[in-house]
Amino acid sequence: MTDIEAMKNAHDVKGLIRLLDHDKHNIQWRAADALGTLGEMACDPLLKLLVFPRENVRIGAIEALGDIKSPRSVEPLIQTLAKDKSNEVRWVAALALGEIGESRAIPALVRALNEEDRYVRFGSAKALEQIGWSAETDQELAYYYIALQEWNAVKKMGNAATVALIDMLKEDHPAIRTQIVEILGSIRSIEAKRACERVLRDPDADVRWLGVLLSKRCGMPTSHLPIGLSKRPQTGPNRFGATLLNFFFVGLGYDYLGKWWGLLVLEIYLMLVLLGQLRFGAFLTFVILFPIMALFATQTYYMAKRESLLAG
Amino acid sequence: MVTFSSLFGKKKADIERLTAAKDISGLIRALHSSDMQTQSEVAKALGSLGPAAMDELIRALKKKDKENQLVIIQALIEIRDPRSVPVLIESLKDENSEVRWEAAIALGEIGDPRAIDPLILSLRDPDKYARYGAAFSLFKMGWKPPNDVEKAFLFVGMQEWKAVRLIGDSAIPALTHILHDQHSNVRIKAVEILGELKSTQAIPALIQSLADKDSEVRWEAVLASPKCGIKLMHLPRGLSRRPKVTKNPLIAGFLNFVLPGLGYAYLAKWWGVMIYEIDIFGTILLFQYLGEEFSYEALLPIYLLLAIHAYYLAIKMPKDPP
Repeated sequence: MTDIEAMKNAHDVKGLIRLLDHDKHNIQWRAADALGTLGEMACDPLLKLLVFPRENVRIGAIEALGDIKSPRSVEPLIQTLAKDKSNEVRWVAALALGEIGESRAIPALVRALNEEDRYVRFGSAKALEQIGWSAETDQELAYYYIALQEWNAVKKMGNAATVALIDMLKEDHPAIRTQIVEILGSIRSIEAKRACERVLRDPDADVRWLGVLLSKRCGMPTSHLPIGLSKRPQTGPNRFGATLLNFFFVGLGYDYLGKWWGLLVLEIYLMLVLLGQLRFGAFLTFVILFPIMALFATQTYYMAKRESLLAG
Repeated sequence: MVTFSSLFGKKKADIERLTAAKDISGLIRALHSSDMQTQSEVAKALGSLGPAAMDELIRALKKKDKENQLVIIQALIEIRDPRSVPVLIESLKDENSEVRWEAAIALGEIGDPRAIDPLILSLRDPDKYARYGAAFSLFKMGWKPPNDVEKAFLFVGMQEWKAVRLIGDSAIPALTHILHDQHSNVRIKAVEILGELKSTQAIPALIQSLADKDSEVRWEAVLASPKCGIKLMHLPRGLSRRPKVTKNPLIAGFLNFVLPGLGYAYLAKWWGVMIYEIDIFGTILLFQYLGEEFSYEALLPIYLLLAIHAYYLAIKMPKDPP
């Protein structure tokens, strides 16, 4: 532990960088903090790490850059915010840009407000706050409030927030989509009507139900709702696939449908095939087994059909 | 005389007869019924026998049969004999959470002051139902928490979140305790309140929650952390410590080489087993038509390809979203 302190005093940038990938998170953390105190001299080696393959190292380097606040790191961090594959890395890059506080970063941060990842959005909004940004258009403001999940503020914006709300329906988390649909329902604008079709097709059953309520409020004729709802993605397993599988590999179709005993049936079937081949030879075995396979396949088809109907 | 019909349908009549005959062990045997109605009738019947039934009930309670234990404790509540307090206190440590819950309720009903200290310990039970039972029993017995920390445990047990909030910093130990609750909604509530306390003392607990296994708890921790003075910049690293399901590419590759297809199964592809079966059949056929040596020559390159494919598939697997 005292090691880090000594390395910091000796300005051992290389040694500290190596600790960024240490097994213990605590040490990674302290190493990043120590690097942050070293100032400009650590800046160049750290900037090189922005493309390092290990996520932990990238996060640590960006943390340190956020402490150093060198204007030279703004451009590379904007690149990272736009392009890095890891959500955490993009998030920390947004926060670091906020720490550095240069207004050059504003366009990139505003773009990140409608990112798919809620953490990156949240970080970008906080960073913009730190830089002292104020929204130029209503739409930017709406994205900003959505990123912070300030739902009341979004609601107050009313119609001006509709476009941003509809765009953010792309969010992965059903809880957030639920919020968005509820607000759209309270706004009741004509634009919100455009979102109805999309909400009715939502993969989440609860959001779809809210979509039904929203559509009624937006004045969509009730008779159109079932058609809209029927357009939802059929997420369940494909029943023809299950049937075919159970025809050729009796049991595997059940496994595909998520029955734990599917593989058990498969093993029993294979044993029978082996025993049958030893006793009757290959041809006769398959003649005997063929009707059984067909039987299993038919049963699977109806089972999958019943289950998909129950799933609604 | 034993008639065929007497073998069936005797359960109902039995309870009255057994009660009249004060046949306690017979009643305890009747507990084995899976029907809740019968069970509660038996509990009432046992209760009506009063203190006379105590010894047998206590003996039966020690046998640790979950269904029986619950009904016996109900009977003990009816009897309200102080002799049952020690054994009920013992049941507060039972491995089954419903038994712990029921025992906590029983101790509150009996109201013996000997139960207070063990119930205070039960406020720290890992199960929310057991905590809830203990908190209400203590409340019922008129227990006054000696300090704010204990008071917080009491209110957390009752899930009186508003009251917990008002306690302030002293609630942190109780809230930290339930960060290990198995229900994510309890953990979310704890994190939310920790954030509202706006206290630096909550930092270690929140940092722990940033790495929670549930994504909604993590998100709540992100919202709460800055309020308690955790630097925003530190959040991403905290979150990156979360448990991740990662598949080892080497294992996937090796499995696919030795048992072609099972490497895919290891990567949770449902068709892995199918490829495995196809390989077995294919190999048998090849052995028959090409002979052993040729089969291996033909199959080895395929196995190698499958191994490399599984290896790359494992590397390219999408990571869990934060």
